[in-house]
Amino acid sequence: MKLCAFIRPASLSAAHENLRELGREGMILAGGTALHFMQDHTPVTAVDIMSLGLSFIREEGDYYNIGATTSLADIQRYRAPRWAMHEICRRISTHQIRNISTIGGNICRVFPWADLPVILLAMDARMVIYTGSDEEEFPADEYFKEQPAKRFLDGNILTSVKIPQLKAHHGFGSIKVVRAEAAFAQVTIAALLELDGSTIKTARVAAGGAIPFPRRLPSVEAALGGQQANEETFKEAAAQADADVTWRGREGMTPEYSRHLAEVTIYDALERAAAFARGRNE
Amino acid sequence: MMKNPQTVTFTLNGERKTFITRPDEKLLDLLRREGYKGTKFGCGQGTCGACTVLMDGRAIYSCLLYSMQAENRDIRTIESIGTHDKPSEFQQELIAAGAVQCGYCIPGMIMSAEALMKAEKTYPEEVVREYMDGNLCRCTGYEKIWDALQTVLARREAANKAKAKS
Repeated sequence: MKLCAFIRPASLSAAHENLRELGREGMILAGGTALHFMQDHTPVTAVDIMSLGLSFIREEGDYYNIGATTSLADIQRYRAPRWAMHEICRRISTHQIRNISTIGGNICRVFPWADLPVILLAMDARMVIYTGSDEEEFPADEYFKEQPAKRFLDGNILTSVKIPQLKAHHGFGSIKVVRAEAAFAQVTIAALLELDGSTIKTARVAAGGAIPFPRRLPSVEAALGGQQANEETFKEAAAQADADVTWRGREGMTPEYSRHLAEVTIYDALERAAAFARGRNE
Repeated sequence: MMKNPQTVTFTLNGERKTFITRPDEKLLDLLRREGYKGTKFGCGQGTCGACTVLMDGRAIYSCLLYSMQAENRDIRTIESIGTHDKPSEFQQELIAAGAVQCGYCIPGMIMSAEALMKAEKTYPEEVVREYMDGNLCRCTGYEKIWDALQTVLARREAANKAKAKS
């Protein structure tokens, strides 16, 4: 990809119009960090959306609404009751990149190593997309069903991400395993548990890194529902992940090593989520 | 001759300037072309930190920013920090600690430390590591750079505390 022109639209509707007219020759630019790594040399026009007022974090009803061009650094630094997004943002790359990279850029085109889709799948987030005349919301399960980049070919623009506020009996845990501090994930796991006393009422668990595309782990979730939130349950549930995905080897790891690493990480994420939920109950 | 020339205007080291650039030119390349060669080209892919500059007070990799993205922003390079005759506090401590070998990473290290000292009032190790872990040094093993920085931070933290008391 080669930038041949640069447009700074004055409004969201103008940006949509620019992108619609440009078609495949247009490219939304927010933080822009990913664009430097696109290997093809197709000439494109960058449509810069950084000045359109899409950098914000707001409490709106039962959600935190995060503007699409909000930097990962701002999400990392934000603090509020029942806020759990800062942990994973601290683990994404280096602080120089977090200062530029945006939540929207991380999820408009999903790379296999992306961490945020894993988190948003577990959190049951909702993505808000501007279509030129309207805004449409997509639950994470639908949004991440396939490569989301396809959704933006006709000029549509991701405007915000809505994260449900965790309730008192909810617990969230995310773990990213890396070889070196700022490296891409070997495996990333996120878990959301809803507890009723010591019983798991509902669970959402998602994985990324050692699989081609981030996804939920329904077999793990099924093994958790209705069970006691304890070590034994978490171990048994973590062992079910093989039914959902085939772990792949990479960076010197064998598939078997990835599988074992993922199983251990699922267990740890569940422990963390349960501790979070218990802490909230106290 | 530059293909597809455009202009970009931003504040560079306190002075508002307009530059001719190309849509695909990186800020790093623009800065070095314009003579700001203290900002180093290292990996060119946002890993080593040698090209770190401040944008609106925050450290960024200038190799991962298109120059056009700097429009109306405040950019600071190593040239704004100290001079040969009047080095900054951290630069003086780096010299005193013998922390510089080839020196290629040092401008980036200094800019990350600047971002840290501008943004934070206290400097727990975890926070310092967070600000500095995007800068690699292949010569020194980091120890002396770390020591020099800790000397400056300890002094600043004590001064901040004294100021808060008075």
